[in-house]
Amino acid sequence: MKKSTKAAVGTLLVAALFAGVWLAERLAGANSMLVTVLEKGAIYALIAVSMNLLNGFTGLFSLGQAGFMLVGAYTYAIFTIPAARRMAVYQYYQGGIVQFELPCLLAIVLAGVVAAAFAALVGLPVLRLKSDYLAIATLGFAEIIRAVIQYDKLGPLTNGSNLLKTYPTFDTALFPFAVAGVCIAVILMLIHSTYGRACKAIRDDEIAAEAMGINLFRHKLLSFVISSFFAGVGGALLAMYQGTVQANAFKSSMTYEILLIVVIGGMGSVTGSVLASFLFIACSEWWLRFLDVETFIGTVQVPLLRSGFRMVVFSVVIMAVVLFYRRGIMGDREFSLDAIARAFSGKKRKGARAK
Amino acid sequence: MSTVLRVKDVTMQFGGVVAIDNLSMHVDEGEIVALIGPNGAGKTTAFNCITGVYEPTNGEIAFGDCIIARSHPTGKMKKLYAGAHADKYLGARVRLSPDKITRLGIARTFQNIRLFKSQTAFENVLIATHLRRTSNPFTATLHINAAEERRMRERAMEMLETVGLADSAGELATSLPYGQQRRLEIARALATQPKLLLLDEPAAGMNPQETDELGAFIREIKDRFQLTVFMIEHHMNLVMDISDRIYVIDFGRQIAEGAPAEVRDNPAVIAAYLGVDEE
Repeated sequence: MKKSTKAAVGTLLVAALFAGVWLAERLAGANSMLVTVLEKGAIYALIAVSMNLLNGFTGLFSLGQAGFMLVGAYTYAIFTIPAARRMAVYQYYQGGIVQFELPCLLAIVLAGVVAAAFAALVGLPVLRLKSDYLAIATLGFAEIIRAVIQYDKLGPLTNGSNLLKTYPTFDTALFPFAVAGVCIAVILMLIHSTYGRACKAIRDDEIAAEAMGINLFRHKLLSFVISSFFAGVGGALLAMYQGTVQANAFKSSMTYEILLIVVIGGMGSVTGSVLASFLFIACSEWWLRFLDVETFIGTVQVPLLRSGFRMVVFSVVIMAVVLFYRRGIMGDREFSLDAIARAFSGKKRKGARAK
Repeated sequence: MSTVLRVKDVTMQFGGVVAIDNLSMHVDEGEIVALIGPNGAGKTTAFNCITGVYEPTNGEIAFGDCIIARSHPTGKMKKLYAGAHADKYLGARVRLSPDKITRLGIARTFQNIRLFKSQTAFENVLIATHLRRTSNPFTATLHINAAEERRMRERAMEMLETVGLADSAGELATSLPYGQQRRLEIARALATQPKLLLLDEPAAGMNPQETDELGAFIREIKDRFQLTVFMIEHHMNLVMDISDRIYVIDFGRQIAEGAPAEVRDNPAVIAAYLGVDEE
């Protein structure tokens, strides 16, 4: 397919996507389940892709995503609460120490930057570890940051263990779609750059990568920092979606949810992560809700259905995926216009992954 | 003719096991030098010391004027050390990491092929052009470095053509036949623009005809890229055919050095190696 046609079709598809979201919002109403799934799905897609950059493309098994989302969410909330409302929000801390507000988009970028800065600090010692040790260390970081943020002495900044609220949120699903879309596009461009190739080389064989002149530590740190930047942005979006932020919501189970999305979608596939995000959010928020509700048929209670059963089903699903369907929905393949054009024209691809 | 690589009094000891014992070698510019010896003699260990995978226990390795490793026994090894010249290389230790050594101009292939499994032949070579980049993560992500990207791709393709794998560029590296995988590793090493090429058993697993072709091929790339070649090899015909000089080691110790004809007639070599290991 020619480059110009590709660009045209791509633009058209993106426009159609946004039109579809806009239409869904008009038709289904802003408070419908569908819109909830679209909004939260877009946010989780960004976070899952950022985690995939680390786990799927660089081969670093990190479990710190919730920690960086937390940092992003708090940064966004702290710097966007209108000055006039600070007295009410920081009621136990005399209005807090931050007495100005940043524009929403600037605060989202700042959320990413602060998360990235934390990642750089954490990464310096932690990235020298390998596989499971790295997972434990990053998980530890996420738990520590969650506790530290609720520390009473930090109250003037973080409001301690109290809610942060009344900051600006979005009123249309188009906003998270646009921000997540731009971010995922940037991640895709990174993956397709020479640095992305170096990261994949590290994933495939560290010794060979180093022998090819790739500085392992620098590239791992780069990937870690960039992944955390976008996790921070995702955290800011999540804060906007929820309307309030409280550190206790960012538990390690949140990281596991995202890991589940990445595994179901396929380690090393951006498309897979995006698809799996919407699928996961749709299931957990909408389609599988009935599992958590006690249901009666006549007077007979349906067995097993009660609050929490949904999570049991999820656990079974992840076990099934890991046991029987390890490559996930997409494996390491990507959605591409070329592949679709080929499928339609019936031409055979030359080689497994020819470009 | 200047010396490209100089290995001085290198001992590599793992716990109580002396893998390399007081080994000194040098490779001059434009030479093809072979390192031979029976299995377990320490040949690959020597390569791993040169490329920075291992830090020698004692001794010094220099690439041109640059010292890439210099070490003396420390800590627990002080007591355990069983080699020679324990106090000759005191002072500051030097250990360059493998990626820095590659950047200086030493490229290698691996005895047990280490290609990037999930990538195509072309991508495997393309990755090796990464170290000569001038772009930073920002310019690369935003594709401002289009000219450099094009150069990298051209260079990778050129290397694939050099080893005769241009037609397989889009194939998954691990789906290639064994002999081609070895060639691909050489292409990948060449793409780092080395001055010294270390080949670890390049003919392993090749049939006699492929081995013959490999000899001519090594000569050809040596001339074309002005390389110096240092190789470990078991195929005696190949070694005798293309080497300017040969080092023979056994149990980590050098037992002979010289031109192919001299080494072939050396009784110590025949006893340790040629007489035992019939092929």
